[in-house]
Amino acid sequence: MMANLVLAAFIIKSAVSAQMDYAKSTLGGTVSIQADMETIRETQKSELSEGNDPREMFKSMSRPSVSVETANKIISTHTDYIRDYSYVVSASANANNLETVETKGFSGKGNNFPGMNFPDELSSDSSDASLDADITIAGFNAYAYIDGVENETITLKDGTYFDEDATDSALISYEFSELNSLKVGDEFTLKNVYSETEITLTVIGIYDTSESRADANIIYMNTSTAAKFLSASDYNDGNYSVENVKFYMLNSDNAEEFVEKINADFSELSENNLKVTVDTSEYDNISSSIESVSSFADTILIIVIIASIIIITLIVTINVKDRRYEIGVLMSLGADKKNVIGQIATELLLVGTFGFLLASVTGTALAGVLSDHILETQVASSAEQSEKNFGRPGAGVGNMPGGSSNNSRKNQASKTTDMPEMPNSPSDLLKNRNETNVELDLNAKPEDYLLLFLTGYLVIILALILPSVSIMRYQPKEILAGKE
Amino acid sequence: MSDKKNVLVVENLSYSYKNGDHEQKILDNINAEFKSGKVYAIVGESGSGKTTLLSLISALDKLQSGDIKFNNKSLKKISGQEFRLKYVNIVFQSYNLIKYMTAAENVQVASDFDGRKTDPNIYLKKVGITEDEGKRLVNKLSGGQQQRVAIARALASASPIIMADEPTGNLDEETEEKIIEIFKDLAHKENKIVIIVTHSRQVADKADKILTLRRGKLS
Repeated sequence: MMANLVLAAFIIKSAVSAQMDYAKSTLGGTVSIQADMETIRETQKSELSEGNDPREMFKSMSRPSVSVETANKIISTHTDYIRDYSYVVSASANANNLETVETKGFSGKGNNFPGMNFPDELSSDSSDASLDADITIAGFNAYAYIDGVENETITLKDGTYFDEDATDSALISYEFSELNSLKVGDEFTLKNVYSETEITLTVIGIYDTSESRADANIIYMNTSTAAKFLSASDYNDGNYSVENVKFYMLNSDNAEEFVEKINADFSELSENNLKVTVDTSEYDNISSSIESVSSFADTILIIVIIASIIIITLIVTINVKDRRYEIGVLMSLGADKKNVIGQIATELLLVGTFGFLLASVTGTALAGVLSDHILETQVASSAEQSEKNFGRPGAGVGNMPGGSSNNSRKNQASKTTDMPEMPNSPSDLLKNRNETNVELDLNAKPEDYLLLFLTGYLVIILALILPSVSIMRYQPKEILAGKE
Repeated sequence: MSDKKNVLVVENLSYSYKNGDHEQKILDNINAEFKSGKVYAIVGESGSGKTTLLSLISALDKLQSGDIKFNNKSLKKISGQEFRLKYVNIVFQSYNLIKYMTAAENVQVASDFDGRKTDPNIYLKKVGITEDEGKRLVNKLSGGQQQRVAIARALASASPIIMADEPTGNLDEETEEKIIEIFKDLAHKENKIVIIVTHSRQVADKADKILTLRRGKLS
């Protein structure tokens, strides 16, 4: 039983270690490029203190942004750090001849772009033209990174979702489609609010949202299509600005190094009031939960080892007492005390070896039972925590029809903005996130068996110390006289 | 048979027990010399110190004062374990056989310790134990058979000294005769020093020399 528990503990520890490595590679953390609000506020303060007109300051203020070329250059030069990436392009459009949905809490005009973290005064598209716009254009480099998809408030009702291949394709809300009698495959036209240019889009999918206050006039599409709705200056001959730039790391251990490299190689980011930040909280959250499982295994291991030493010591002491007479006889015949102890040790090690072999078969099952119990309590709570922190438990995305494939994204990359190849799609990333929450590989590995045998033999040797001391104190005459 | 003359010398050997504040002297300045090729009988009343003397000579107990030398090698200079292993083998009154072993295995143990690995049946045969009886657990044998197994164990060792504590105490007259003959053969044919501690006058009379222990003194 003791050997079973020891092996179970080692299997769990080994599984936890493997899971930690796996979590590092799958939940490698994210690195984001964000507006450095602290620096911006400091600049504002110093300009105000110099007597500048706040209104003029506000007018001339532009939101710090990253150009798509810079973002893609970072990605292409750091593929050994990055698993995936996401960024967004936000714009507005006029509905042309289409009806817009009146949504509670929204004016139906202007930029209601979801997921933007910038304060209103720094909103990207805050020009007069955009304020009169009917439609919000949300460009994502992958469907899976739409906030609503990540937190499961948006589901695909019909059609499929877009990827970087799907140029001029749009994902419209169910209400918008109903109002304008649009279905998948239909074409519709929106107007660029600046140039009044008409842009024709094809309905690739229709989404539904569970958020009661959601703006049904948001149209999702890929970044290159969304960029067509920017002003000529913002479009900047294809080198438009992207927001919410986020890099998904291959390994969270490398996140800081990656940040240092970006800061060193792309000094224009800090010059443009942008800062590169690391977020490994998802990995940290999962890892702390997994570590608690490891800590539980450690506790079991320590208790079992101490209990084993005590129990085996008692058993050996009783055994030595029972065999006192035999020991006395052997000593009277010239047996060395060390040989006597050696004989008892050999017997114990043989019995131990048998026990360890038996435990090798049954310990894995026990590890399964133990870990099931631990995982139910600890990992489930971490998943709950993860959901609170990240807004999604990680379900569903990997099973979507026509999931975004690497190949399709590669093709688009070469056609448009020279996007680098990434090893995994966002859906893979999210699926991995989900798997990390619930699975431990509890198959015993050779090193687990090795540790079981080494620990077991060490426990036996430690348990022999006390009985050995009593044997060393034996005098054959006393033993034999006692017997007689 | 070895022609070498081995000599065991007991010099000024004294031994006492402490009983609270009172010290009880068991052996009082004993001197004796035992030579190979002879059977010695130490006789004395109960409590005269016979078993204590045997324990000291066979290094089962530690010397308090005086010395025991085998071929001029002092027991003080080697460990009791080494002395028992190399020089002395003991036949106990209560046999002291290991119960979970067969007769043959008990005999085998003795020869295993000195690394000779001899066939135990040779020695069992000498004391009249058959091969079949040798395969039986010792606690399945009679008292006489067990005593003979204990003697066979002593024979199996290469020790030049055989100590026997009341070796015929549990035996019938016929078996006793046979056992005494075996001891005499060990001394006379195998050139061993055989020391028998007994209170049987009949056994003592068959020894080559009788030593009497009375009130801690040997005469």
